[in-house]
Amino acid sequence: MTPAALVARIEARELLASPRGRLWLLLLSAALSAFALLLVSSTELGLLDRAQVLYAQLGLVTALGALLAVVQGADAVAGERERGSLLPLLVAPVSRGAILRGKLGGQAAAWGATALLALPYLWAGGASGAGLLRAGALLLLLGTPVVLTFGLLATGLGARLRTVRAALLAALVVLLLSASPLLLGPGLRQTAAGRAFDLVNPFSHALNGFDEVVVDSAPLAAQVVHLGVVVAWFALALRYALAGVRKVAR
Amino acid sequence: MTSHDASRDVPQVLLDVHHLALRIGEAEILRDVSLSLRRGEVLGLLGPNGAGKTTTIAAALGLLPRHAGTVRLLGRDPAGAGAAVRARVGVLPDPNGFHDGLTAEESLAFFAGLYGLAPGAAELGRRLAQVGLERVRAEPVSTFSRGMRQRLGLARAMVADPELLVLDEPTAGLDPGGRREMHDLLLALAADRSTGILLCTHQLDEVERLCGRVAVIVEGRTAAEGGLSELLAARASPHRYRLRLAGPPPDGAGSPRHVRVAGRVGDWTAVDVDPAVPPEAAWRELLFLGWPVVEIERGGGGLEELYLDLTAGGAP
Amino acid sequence: MVHLFLAACLAFAAPPTAAAPLAPAPAAGPLSVALVPAPGAPVRPRMGDRLSFHSVIRNGGEAPVEGLVAWVSLVRVDRGQEAPVDLEDWSAQKAVTLPSLGPGQSLEADWPMRLIQAGDYRVVVSAASRDGSALAASPLRPFTVARRPVVESRRVVPVALGLPGLLAASFLPWRRLRRRRP
Repeated sequence: MTPAALVARIEARELLASPRGRLWLLLLSAALSAFALLLVSSTELGLLDRAQVLYAQLGLVTALGALLAVVQGADAVAGERERGSLLPLLVAPVSRGAILRGKLGGQAAAWGATALLALPYLWAGGASGAGLLRAGALLLLLGTPVVLTFGLLATGLGARLRTVRAALLAALVVLLLSASPLLLGPGLRQTAAGRAFDLVNPFSHALNGFDEVVVDSAPLAAQVVHLGVVVAWFALALRYALAGVRKVAR
Repeated sequence: MTSHDASRDVPQVLLDVHHLALRIGEAEILRDVSLSLRRGEVLGLLGPNGAGKTTTIAAALGLLPRHAGTVRLLGRDPAGAGAAVRARVGVLPDPNGFHDGLTAEESLAFFAGLYGLAPGAAELGRRLAQVGLERVRAEPVSTFSRGMRQRLGLARAMVADPELLVLDEPTAGLDPGGRREMHDLLLALAADRSTGILLCTHQLDEVERLCGRVAVIVEGRTAAEGGLSELLAARASPHRYRLRLAGPPPDGAGSPRHVRVAGRVGDWTAVDVDPAVPPEAAWRELLFLGWPVVEIERGGGGLEELYLDLTAGGAP
Repeated sequence: MVHLFLAACLAFAAPPTAAAPLAPAPAAGPLSVALVPAPGAPVRPRMGDRLSFHSVIRNGGEAPVEGLVAWVSLVRVDRGQEAPVDLEDWSAQKAVTLPSLGPGQSLEADWPMRLIQAGDYRVVVSAASRDGSALAASPLRPFTVARRPVVESRRVVPVALGLPGLLAASFLPWRRLRRRRP
């Protein structure tokens, strides 16, 4: 097994086997449950048709995945440093790139677990058969780069800032800003500044992709622009995190 | 367990640092640090908090870029040495942490894997037994006491049979029995396997027991480096005493004319007595000035005095 | 568009042989109120659709009506569930006022609403003067809101309660293990 795979396996185990990790999954599940119960109990939300429900669920799952990735990313370097487990890792005969790939693998595993956890909720919201498959594909194609972008951003911040708390706070502020279209909806695009923000924001591109495919029934293949933007952000975040991890001294 | 013996060149000097200087931002952390560590040797790295010990270790391992001076780690410049040299070094940091979700055995296996090793259960058990943790090999690290974590940290540092061990406060949190076992283990490592050990500690008794050589860093400079016995002999003074005081000397009573305070550690104060007067005269003077002297010991030549001299009375 | 309008008028006129669109209800005073579905209204409205009614309040008297207020009311008429509907969730446009409506003049108003719940309904627009001397109501306009297959509670509830329960149960073996340890 390569060093990167070893690190990824340990990170994934931390999430799936440790009580702290399972508590995270429980909280994610509780958030998705709360939303689902709101759908059936709220007069207003209950009027959303299935496509709108699915769209809202996909946005929520992506935001929750990004939140978990931010927590993991902030812990990836800054947390190891605070615990005193970073130095042995840095001294081990493993490249910084491999360490980052391992950490990224852990974040990807967490996102995979989140997406799997979300599938029953998507089904409960009304997606089944081809619709459920399409929702899964959307999470994979558009959700994955967005979630990992935020995980990498938090990793890079953790490598540069001294504490987990500082890295977590900074990354959460960026995530909240970026995920604001989830709350503001199309109203954001009524101003020029909103439209410009929408144009560069990776989270907006993921949401717009979900909207076009799920609500407007556009084909997945037509999401090239959205996919291109989120992948470009992922590449930038990867570069930022790698530069940070390479600079870490102890 | 497979080690890296086949590919190793065998330099006698494992770590050689010459006139190392290092800045972080505008702050000059290291000004002029020199030290060397040979195979089979235990070098004690001493200095007050903030003197630059941890930074020296990071620079010696190639983790921080230096601005001046030279560093040779296992015969090579650590800045470009890469994984091959790092594979021959083991580190026990302070603080010393783990992935808490793993058991002791899994934690050790994970690090062995990073070194390209795949030890079986028996080998892992032997490694854990070496540090007294075989009984709890399947327990999660999250349930370990600080002392148990230190032991596991040492096992982790030794997992690839390193030629150089860098240990930062290895006995912190250990009970007296545990400390003794750790000391014996480190001495055996240095003697039997010719491992070089860089021991960063504030425990002076530990240094006296384990280290053949010491380096004292003060404000980013090497204040002294050499064999412990040579350094002590050079600094030995027949006029150095240790006084135990029941409280601080009275204010306003004036300074004693025949006694100079060299430093303080806990209740003990190191003093130099004027060679021109007999010690009894000096003690009479102190009592006359109201010093609450409880006990007097001849203290010339100890590591503590040497340390206090070099660090100008700063706490170890 | 005209066809749609006519179709909508026919769909909402009950019974089909009732008065023609915009025919006012018999009024006790000078006021009369006519009410029809607004153009473009869905023929078979479903939950979540928007529906709008158009009213014309006319002063057929010889004196102005001072302090005119008109309001919309909705009643549910499903068997066993007959009750007035709280318009809070349905509409933001619940009343219109006019300081004075001159003789022969009329006031037109639209009454948009979002259809929140399935069922049979009757809508009526009433108008009155400030001093209460004039009062009129439109004919009752019936409409039916069909169910829309949206979120199904029989799917949601088991998942929303079961999955967190399963995850919480996965903690039990770990807690037991911890308790066993000295």
